[in-house]
Amino acid sequence: MLRRLIALLFVTLLLVPPIAAQENPTTWNETNSLSWEYDFEAGYISTSPLFDGERILVRTSGQSEPAVTAFDVSGNKIWQHTNNASTNNDMSPLLYVQAGQGQCGSWPEMVLVGWTSGLVEALNSSNGDVLWSTQSEVLGWGVTGQFALDGEFVLVPTRQGIGQYCLADGQQQWWTQTGLGWRNGVTVGETGYFLGDESGQLWHVDRTGIATPHALELGKIRHAPLLTDAGILIHGQADSGSTLAIFNPVNATLLQQIPAGHSPAIPLLRGDYVVTGDSSAIRILQCSSLCVVVDEIPFHTNGEIGWFDDGQILAPSNTLESNWGLFTFDGQENLTYSPIDVGLHGYGTAAPLQFSVGTTTFTVFGNDQGVVRAYSNLGEEQTVPADDFDWGVQGLIFVMFVLLGSSSAFLLSGKREWFLRTSSMLLLILMLLIIPDLSSQWSKAFDKQFPETSSSEEWNEQWPDAWLGTQIVIFELNGEEHSIGGLVGHDDVLSLTQSACEKLDFDLTGESTEFGWYVDSIDGIGGEGWEFSIDGSKGIISADHSDVTTTSIVRWTPV
Amino acid sequence: MFQAMGVHGPTLSPLASLLLDVVLLGCAFWLLAKPTKRPIFDSLFMLSLVLSVSLLRVVMQPIPNVQPVTVAALLVGAQLGARRGAAFAVLVAMISNIFIGDGWWTVFQAAGWASIAIAGSRLSLVTSTGFNLGRACMASLVAAFWFDFIVSFSILDGTIGFTEFIVYLGHGLPFDFLHMVGNLTFVIWMGGWFTQLLEEESSIEEIKFAVVNSHGIDG
Repeated sequence: MLRRLIALLFVTLLLVPPIAAQENPTTWNETNSLSWEYDFEAGYISTSPLFDGERILVRTSGQSEPAVTAFDVSGNKIWQHTNNASTNNDMSPLLYVQAGQGQCGSWPEMVLVGWTSGLVEALNSSNGDVLWSTQSEVLGWGVTGQFALDGEFVLVPTRQGIGQYCLADGQQQWWTQTGLGWRNGVTVGETGYFLGDESGQLWHVDRTGIATPHALELGKIRHAPLLTDAGILIHGQADSGSTLAIFNPVNATLLQQIPAGHSPAIPLLRGDYVVTGDSSAIRILQCSSLCVVVDEIPFHTNGEIGWFDDGQILAPSNTLESNWGLFTFDGQENLTYSPIDVGLHGYGTAAPLQFSVGTTTFTVFGNDQGVVRAYSNLGEEQTVPADDFDWGVQGLIFVMFVLLGSSSAFLLSGKREWFLRTSSMLLLILMLLIIPDLSSQWSKAFDKQFPETSSSEEWNEQWPDAWLGTQIVIFELNGEEHSIGGLVGHDDVLSLTQSACEKLDFDLTGESTEFGWYVDSIDGIGGEGWEFSIDGSKGIISADHSDVTTTSIVRWTPV
Repeated sequence: MFQAMGVHGPTLSPLASLLLDVVLLGCAFWLLAKPTKRPIFDSLFMLSLVLSVSLLRVVMQPIPNVQPVTVAALLVGAQLGARRGAAFAVLVAMISNIFIGDGWWTVFQAAGWASIAIAGSRLSLVTSTGFNLGRACMASLVAAFWFDFIVSFSILDGTIGFTEFIVYLGHGLPFDFLHMVGNLTFVIWMGGWFTQLLEEESSIEEIKFAVVNSHGIDG
C-alpha cells in the first residue's frame, strides 16, 4: 500500500510542469520583443531612463561615461550631454518638467539633472542644451537624491542639505543644512518638505527653509519619505537589516516598526498601497489607518522599483547573474512573481521605464553594464513562438522525467535496487540544479544568524577625509598597497571590487563557478589566486556572496 | 565545509611542497610494501585502480563536491584492507591534485580519504553473503560529512579563529549534503560492481587465514 502511495506521489510530480504551463500560457517574454539595444560600452545606468513624450533620456555614470543621452523611440541617438567632473555613480533620477511660468519668470520644457559633482543642470530636452546650472556643495559626493517639484520651484537634496531653486533660472531661494545625505530624495507635503539623512534623522523643512530634525534611530534613510494615510513611511537601513517604520510628524512618534531585510530599495506609493524591496523580498503594504504587509515574495532588489499603470511591478535583481522580476498585484492580497529575461545579466539598480506610443507599449531597461534594451509589446495576436529552444535544458528535463517515471515503475514492480538507482540519480540531479541558489540563500541566512563581529582593519590616516563613512578597497600588488575609497552603495565584495578596479583602472578577470565568482587576476596578476578580507575578517565564501556594510574595508591579497 | 573561494590555507614554498609530496609518497609506499610481498599483477592492478579513480576525479571536478573518491576509498578499504585502502587514498589525492591543484589541502584530503578507507575496512561492508548495500549507504553518508570536516581544517593558517571556523563549516553545509547525495548515488549504482571488481584480489584477511591454515596443516 505504502509503495503504491509513493508511486502515486511520483506520478503526480510528473504532472506538475504541464499544470504550471497551463496556468501561465502568456509570459512577458512572449508578448514583448526586443526593439533595439544600445551599448554605451562603459559606465553604469543606476537610475531609470526617462521619456519626455518624444525622446528616451538615459543617464550613465562612472569615470568613463558621465552623461545624459537622448534617443528616439527607434533607438537612434539624438544628443548627448556630458559632465566629466562627475566621476562617481550618478543615481539622482532625471526629472522631467513641463513648460510653465511663475514669479521668477517662465521656463520651457526641460529635464533636471543632479550630478555627484554637485552640479545641478536644467537641460533642454529637445537638444541637450544647458538652460541654467547651479553648483551645490560637495563632500566626497554631491547630489545623489531625487528632486521634487513645488509650484515654480524645484527642491534639490544636496550632500548636506536641501535647497529651493527657481525653475525659470535656477536662482537659489534658500539652502538649509540638514544631515549628510545619500540618495536623500525629497517629498513635498502640505507643511513643507521631508527628507532623510545618513544618521537616521528625518527632516521637516518648511517652505521658508526652517528645518526640524526627528531622530528616528532606524538607520540610514536613503529614499524620499512616503506620505501615506497611516503616517510617513520610512525604510531605514541598518547594518543588521532594515526597518519599515510609520512616523507621525504631528506628535513626532513612531507608530509602527516592521523588520525587513538588508539594503532596502527605494519604496513606492500608489494610493493606499506601498511597494518595498530589499535583499530578501519584495513586499506590498496597504496603508490606511495602519500599514499592513499584504503579501511578500522572496527577491533581491536594492535600488529603484518600477510600478506601472497596468499594475505591474518590475524590479531589477541586484545580483551577479540575475535578471528582472515581474510582480503582479491583484489589488487585494496576492502578489505573484515571474522572472523575465531581457538579455541583461548582472548587477542592476535602475528601474525600467515604461511608456506608450499609439498602441505600442515600450519598456526600456538599463543596468550596471551600461547597456540599454528597449522592448515593445507585440500584443497577444502577434505573439510569436519562442525559437530559443534549449536542447541541453530540455534534454535534462526529459532525463529527469524518465528517472521519475522509472522510479515509480520500479517501486511498483518491487525492484528495490533499480528504484534506489533511479531515485538517487534524480535526487543528485535535483541537488546539482538547486545547489547554487541553495548555498547562496543558506549563506545569507547563516550570516544573518551569525553576523561577523570582529573588526581589525584600521583606518589609514593618510587616506582623505572624504573616504570616511564610505566603502574602501585595498589591493596588495607586488608588495605595494593600492587603496581607493569614497565608494558607496555596494552590497557585496564583488560589486565593490569591480567598482574599485574601474576607478584604479585595474583589469579584473574571473569566472563564475558553481561556488560563486572566482577572481582569476587583478591588474594582470593571477598567481595561485586571490583572497580577501572584510574589515579584517577573512572572506570564507565567494566574493559575490559576501556582503559588505556601508563602511566596509575590503582587502585583496594574492595567495 | 567545502565552499572555499576566498580561503586557501597557508601558502607553501616550493621546498615545503616537495617535502610534503615526498612524505605523502613515502607513506603510500610504506603502506603498500609493509604487509607482504605482492606479485607484479597486484601492483599493476593497484596502479590502474589509482589512475582510473584519479582520472574520474579530475573529469568530475567541474561538478561541485561530487566526490567519487570518497566511495572508492571506502570500498577499497573494505575489500583490500586498511593499509592498501589508505595507500590508495593518499595516491589518488596526490595524483589527481597534480591536475586539479596541489597545496596544503592535499594533506587533509589524503588524511580524510585514508581515514575513510580505514573505517571501510572495519565496517564489514562486504561479508560472506555479499555486498551490504544498506550499511554501505549509511557509511557513505557519514564519510561525506567526515571528509568535508577533515578537509575544512586546511583553512586554519593562524589567522582564523574558532568562531570563524564554525561559520565556515556552517556555510558549507549545503555542499556537504550534495557530497552525501553524490556518495549515495555512487554506492547504489557502482557499489556492487566495484566490490566485485576488487574481489578478484584476495583480501589480507583471506591471505592471513590461508597462511595460518597452511601452518596448521603443516603442524
